[in-house]
Amino acid sequence: MEYILSLRNITKRYPGVIALNQLSVDFKPGEVHALLGENGAGKSTLIKVISGAISPDEGEIIWEGKSYSKMTPKISKMNGIEVIYQEFNLVDTLSAAENICLGEKYGKFVDFSIMEKKAAEIFKQFKIDIDPKAKVERLTSAHRQIVEISKAISRECKLLIMDEPSAPLTVNEVDCMFDIVRTLKKKGITIIYISHRMEEIFTIADRVTVMRDGGFVKTLSVADTNREELINLMVGRELKENYPKTVNANQEEALRVEHMTGNGDTDISFSLRKGEILGFAGLVGAGRTELARLIYGADKRESGKIYVDGTQVQIHSTTDAIENGIGLIPEDRKNQGCFLEKGIGWNIAFNNLKNLSKSGIVNKAKAKAVAEEYRDLLQIKTPSLEQDVKNLSGGNQQKVVIAKTLATNSKVIIFDEPTRGIDVGAKQEIYELMNNLSKKGIGIIMISSDMEELLGMADRIIVLSEGKMTGELQGGEFDQTEILKLASIS
Amino acid sequence: MKDKIIGYIKKFTILLVLFALIILFGLINPVFFTWQNFMNILTQQAYVIIAAIGLSFIMIGGGMDLSVGYQMSLVGIITAMCMMWYNLPIWLSIMIGMITGVILGLCNGLAAVKLKVHPLIITLGTMTVYQGISYIISNSNTIFGLPDAFKFIGQGYVFGIPFCIILAVIVAAIASFILNKTYFGRYVYAIGSNEDAAHLAGVNTSRIKLFVFMICGAFVALSSIILIARAGSATSATGPGTEFTCMTAAVLGGISFKGGSGKVWGVITGVLILGVLSSGMQIIGLGTYPQYIAKGLVLLAAVGFDNYQKEVHVKKDKKIA
Repeated sequence: MEYILSLRNITKRYPGVIALNQLSVDFKPGEVHALLGENGAGKSTLIKVISGAISPDEGEIIWEGKSYSKMTPKISKMNGIEVIYQEFNLVDTLSAAENICLGEKYGKFVDFSIMEKKAAEIFKQFKIDIDPKAKVERLTSAHRQIVEISKAISRECKLLIMDEPSAPLTVNEVDCMFDIVRTLKKKGITIIYISHRMEEIFTIADRVTVMRDGGFVKTLSVADTNREELINLMVGRELKENYPKTVNANQEEALRVEHMTGNGDTDISFSLRKGEILGFAGLVGAGRTELARLIYGADKRESGKIYVDGTQVQIHSTTDAIENGIGLIPEDRKNQGCFLEKGIGWNIAFNNLKNLSKSGIVNKAKAKAVAEEYRDLLQIKTPSLEQDVKNLSGGNQQKVVIAKTLATNSKVIIFDEPTRGIDVGAKQEIYELMNNLSKKGIGIIMISSDMEELLGMADRIIVLSEGKMTGELQGGEFDQTEILKLASIS
Repeated sequence: MKDKIIGYIKKFTILLVLFALIILFGLINPVFFTWQNFMNILTQQAYVIIAAIGLSFIMIGGGMDLSVGYQMSLVGIITAMCMMWYNLPIWLSIMIGMITGVILGLCNGLAAVKLKVHPLIITLGTMTVYQGISYIISNSNTIFGLPDAFKFIGQGYVFGIPFCIILAVIVAAIASFILNKTYFGRYVYAIGSNEDAAHLAGVNTSRIKLFVFMICGAFVALSSIILIARAGSATSATGPGTEFTCMTAAVLGGISFKGGSGKVWGVITGVLILGVLSSGMQIIGLGTYPQYIAKGLVLLAAVGFDNYQKEVHVKKDKKIA
């Protein structure tokens, strides 16, 4: 048997859209097979077809030589197919061990000791120190991800599908996850790996299948291809450059932070020039988001001073920050960045609503004009401004979040993980936008766990570790290993 | 075009239900179909409409207020007491009543903001406190014989229209204006929709929440004043129970329990559906107890239908994505 799973001419239609179009692809036993494609290429639909969450309209699924016209969740589980979805599927109020063993029965009564032992064993394999008794709600997102993986492999698993597993992880944690993946591979488990991060595919995958617009483009052996080829296959057009970096920093100071302490951060001082893109590197939990929230007035600081344009400003709330020209694009766009149930225009005008109102009454014409202006500026693809944000793709949602902040005319903008989970095309647009903003003299703070993007876009990088500044690198001297070293200082 | 019509029908389902009920009762008994009867229903429901709109502010902002009923009880007792026991002028008594309502709302709001506990729990507590205070003040007495000039609020007519209906219309107009036209209104929707996002968007969420509770307090106070003016007397037992009627009406009218959505006209329709049910069933000879069953079933049917529609919607959305 050459292939463990073969898909033959799978087609899935939705009203107005063909999500999968005559797609055929084969998976070899024990390989790490990456799926690559822009958002909307049909990767998620393909996963759902394999896991049985949806039934294809046409085509054949051949699992270990046996043919099915469709899978069901039950059949796929019985056959040892497990999926780790992009969004966590954990019960927050239960312990890590209980989550891993959820749905399993050991004897008549709940036996916590067995569950905890089992969980501890798996964590030990992964060389990760998680307390099996810890409630999931108290775990970091990286640890939750590991619980998620543990849950999948705790059962008899032959095929593991991982959808963007590295999104919430830091570099170190990704390495650790790769070790886990390699261990699984040695056990003979086939892995379908989906990621937007190209370098991960070259690190971990054996073969890669590129998809575009619901169709199959090409399956390649990773050893025989390179980044440019894959990107070209994915977008079907030539991209100019990966990082369209331009240097616009001038000598004037946009923002200065002195001795900022609070929220887990201690004594952080730095200065940001106009037109500069200042990167913040660090592991998850290094205190970067926390620092952003302190500057933005979202959390209370214990001490520290903030200067905008050289004058000290009093920021005690998010309202103060916006009034003083500081904007924040939060890391979690769905939960912090926008109002999913509200329209695009409603969202874009929101941060600046007070200025769009006269004696408390919103000037709807003005608000609409602003929304239109920023929709065009950011090229948000939508038939109407009334459209609810929840119906947009990840990239367009992120553009709405950015538009909201831009509409307040900030002098300093903090981008916290601006490109997490969005596709290549939208990423490029956001990089271009950051360049354009810096050309206008806006100071940008960029927090990102995507090292390549940070190296590609920043003029200067500050490294944080455990709430302290551990280093600063100038434009000419960026070095990934150096940054990692600084980020791991404790 | 067809989609548009279906869209409108979905949007105004609740209004169609109201008309259907009116026609149904009218067909069974023509007495129901008289101007006098409609005026009766509106007069009876005016105070509920006002209180329900107050509660809706809190619910749209993602909160809940169980203490509405005992706020009414306390405001009613204090207003009546000012007039009858301390012989204060009517206008001053009303002012004191209204201010009491705002203060009670403020207490709820402060507790919710400072203790950072869900308003449902907070107002479960304050409800009990207000109950105690109300009975201590009234000493379980009924305050009879409110002055005629005061009773005008609940019983009087202006140009042939009951004054309390006019008050309800004014309140509805003000509330609708605040929610739809002002940035404060949008902030209320925003907090109900996603509090974290609202905070990061520069909204002082604590202050908005306080205001929302105070607005509710003011509306509830007015509602209570209308109620005792109509009855001509006040006791500590006047008001309690209204909170559940309001909640039912709000949910019927499409105010989301999670917050972030809902319209004033929906709440009013919700109240009127309950009112029409009571009146209609009374007229066709069904007593109070069957009415309870009918109201409960209507609520379940309405939310069930709403949820079903949303699920269909979600499935459709998912398919497109």
